[in-house]
Amino acid sequence: MDLDPVRISLMGLPAWAVLWVLTLGAFGVFGFRAWQLVGLLLKARSENRFDQLGARVMRFVRHVLLQPRLFNEPSIGLAHFLIFWGFVVYVICFNWSLVRGLLPVLPIPYPDEFGPSAFFLDVFAVAVLISLGAAVVRRVFFPPAHLHLSWDANLILSLIGILMLTTLFGGSFRLLGEGKTSSLWTPFSSLVAMVWPTMTSPDAHRWAKAMWWTHMITVLFFLVYLPYSKHLHLLASPFNVFFGNLRPAGDLSIAGGSEDLAAGSAKWNEFTWKQLLSGFSCAECGRCDRACPATNSGFPLEPQQLVQKLKKHSIHAGLAKPNGNGEKLIGDVITEAEIWSCTTCMSCIERCAVLNEQIPIIVQLRRHLVSEGQMAKTVQDALNNFNRYGNSFGKSDRMRAKWTQALGWKVKDARKEEVEYLWFVGDYASFDPRLEESTRKTANVFKAAGMDFGILYEGERNAGNDVRRIGEEGLFEMLRDKNLQAMGKAKYKKIVTTDPHAFNTLKNEYGLEGVEVLHYSEVLDRLATEGKLTFKNKVTGRITYHDPCYLGRYNDIYEPARRVLKAAGAELVEMPRSFSRSYCCGAGGGRIWMEDVEGVKERPAESRVREAAALGVTTLVVACPKDLVMFQDALKTAGLEGKLVIKDVIDLVEEATRQA
Amino acid sequence: MDILVLMKVVPDVVEELEVGSDGKSLDTSFLRTIINERDDHALEQALLLKDKHGGKVTLLTLDAPDIDDVLFTALAKGADRAVKICGVESVQSTQTAVKLFGETIAKTPGLLPVDLILTGVSAIDDLDGLMAAPIAQQLGWPYAGVVTQVALADKTATVIKEFAGGVRGEYEVPTPAVLGIQAAEKPPRYVPVAKVRAAMKSQTIESVDAPAVEAATTVEVQQMAKPQVTGHAEMLEGSPEEVADKICELLAKRGLL
Repeated sequence: MDLDPVRISLMGLPAWAVLWVLTLGAFGVFGFRAWQLVGLLLKARSENRFDQLGARVMRFVRHVLLQPRLFNEPSIGLAHFLIFWGFVVYVICFNWSLVRGLLPVLPIPYPDEFGPSAFFLDVFAVAVLISLGAAVVRRVFFPPAHLHLSWDANLILSLIGILMLTTLFGGSFRLLGEGKTSSLWTPFSSLVAMVWPTMTSPDAHRWAKAMWWTHMITVLFFLVYLPYSKHLHLLASPFNVFFGNLRPAGDLSIAGGSEDLAAGSAKWNEFTWKQLLSGFSCAECGRCDRACPATNSGFPLEPQQLVQKLKKHSIHAGLAKPNGNGEKLIGDVITEAEIWSCTTCMSCIERCAVLNEQIPIIVQLRRHLVSEGQMAKTVQDALNNFNRYGNSFGKSDRMRAKWTQALGWKVKDARKEEVEYLWFVGDYASFDPRLEESTRKTANVFKAAGMDFGILYEGERNAGNDVRRIGEEGLFEMLRDKNLQAMGKAKYKKIVTTDPHAFNTLKNEYGLEGVEVLHYSEVLDRLATEGKLTFKNKVTGRITYHDPCYLGRYNDIYEPARRVLKAAGAELVEMPRSFSRSYCCGAGGGRIWMEDVEGVKERPAESRVREAAALGVTTLVVACPKDLVMFQDALKTAGLEGKLVIKDVIDLVEEATRQA
Repeated sequence: MDILVLMKVVPDVVEELEVGSDGKSLDTSFLRTIINERDDHALEQALLLKDKHGGKVTLLTLDAPDIDDVLFTALAKGADRAVKICGVESVQSTQTAVKLFGETIAKTPGLLPVDLILTGVSAIDDLDGLMAAPIAQQLGWPYAGVVTQVALADKTATVIKEFAGGVRGEYEVPTPAVLGIQAAEKPPRYVPVAKVRAAMKSQTIESVDAPAVEAATTVEVQQMAKPQVTGHAEMLEGSPEEVADKICELLAKRGLL
């Protein structure tokens, strides 16, 4: 008897013809939707993501095929991995099966008639079913915060379940139809066959065909439904990963961008195609929200929602005719408060399983607001101060090096004498009275270690890292140009700075060819290794270290400060959120010049000092001037004064190297 | 509705000010100037009125270092024309400034007619606010000062002046008029650097030569000096009980207990 599922008639028509109609219909709808979505991307702004193809292929292999970022959350990592690979196997076999069904004259077997492919289908059906079970249990009983629990997701899980069950059941019926009870190629179908041992062969045939058709129709329905659902991520994210950002995350320029960055984006088609693709790729998993300090503190920002809003809006507005649907992206869809809540800490980018880049999208929106003059008064004041005085403190630029007066010795002027290290001091270290002492310690430690260094004195301006992230592109360029002008007058080989924010922009956005830009933690580490720092009075006590966002996540520098602290004698204890999981102090991206909004629960810095205090350490060590200020304030508001001390790395180094 | 805004720079007190060798003026060698804050508010008020009623906003300033940045910023914000009076010291006595502005307004073609002339009601070097009123007098126009709101109608301006204790007065002023602005209805707007740069490329600043005016000699500065440090606050230290004891002791010593 013939087991071929297309050699029957359905509603009076040959089954293969019905299959043709269904296939053309499903692929037609799928193709139309795909064409619509690609059309949107083509209308968006340009961005060159076609360089370094080798690196892109490697990235694809790593993040699409191996998915290490999904394993960051063990409860779903393996399950997703198995579902993904099951999907790959099933897609191949589906197409094989479909071709065979559409062209019955082909002299090839169906995939479930061929031992090895039947084996893969059989084994993956069970693996995927178990994974689906894990996914459902997680969704229903242990949903992590910010996982989007949509009807959509449940439908898709159900559809995948149907596909797996039809495979196992179909396999069992096929065995029985062939007059067998088990096969080594399909062990699990053999087990299922034991459920209906008395089934007659003709019945088994009919059931096997029914399973095949159910399977095929489900897949065809899936094909139609997929590009309208959150499972669009399954189509878009491999491309999203392939076209991911290969340049430093700390560089906000757009490669190959044709538009003026400064005007930003207020409409869906003012984003780059890659930014829109981010929306299509979002799987609504909530990893970004769970990591986001703004979200966790109750600020009105959830990176996932922001990306989803951009996705929905770009589809609605982009497909509406002729001039959008009247919905304004900023205001109606995304609020200004959301846009300003971001600290640009990069946790979302670091965590995103599909390698989305949320912060450049937020900065694009900010650029638009800035170009319209829409910002908090405090931010406006800061920008005006940057413009006039080159610092946010509103102090005279001539006072920039005033901290050196109490040193008792003269720091070289790098514009006048050649030095090895140009020390870019930065605003906070120069002007904040709370930090002056640390800045002088840095100078003294550098000097004692025999370092040849100088500063730019009043020639230095704010490096512009945070100005750029506020969205004031023109002002950033102005500050950068002024610094480059002053640096052009100086002779130096390397740049060192204590400020990770300045460090990031100097390193990644200044285009300084052939100049090594170093964070002071790296320099101290080198000096210690070279034996130029001798730790005579080792410090004692348990401490913990906070990884600054712009040093760690943005620039992947984690170890130098730790090595230095250990060399100085400290017993280093790690916080639960350390290294790339470090938790932002809340000051970045210009947030330091903004007021908290209503409804804020625990500020990021308070959460962080509590985390440190819970370790039972005496000291929270930082390597960023802004951190020192933020955490010292947080100690007061969190009621931890006297229980924990905030110190800079340099404080410990200075103490340990001090001449007795 | 066309508006003329008069702006001038004042010494920037963020910088350390030094008294000149004559002992009666500021040392100008390191002096840095900044636009008078209230003039900036006058510009904002003019732009707000333009936003509402249309018309042209023209700026007239005395030349000063960096004045072009100020003028291009104003053009980027939405002003239509910028004119600077060249060939003068940037910081002038108010009386001289009045003469320079007054003569230039009268002689330069195209500056008048306007419906309003707005300028800051006072400046850190003109606490008496002696700029706007004399110009009004010279033009024979009405003047209202310490203005915080302006509403324009045909041939009249309704202005709000704020007095101490939250008392507000509403005045109707026939136009054309000169208004001394205390504060604009909204804080001065922010214009991004990119737009200022675009204005630098697409717009120009007109220069006019300063009219010959006699130096005003009505008031002469006798002496200028930095504030003397006379005494320090005494910090009472110790536990709350100890501090309380010290306070009692001090009060008793001064016969207050």
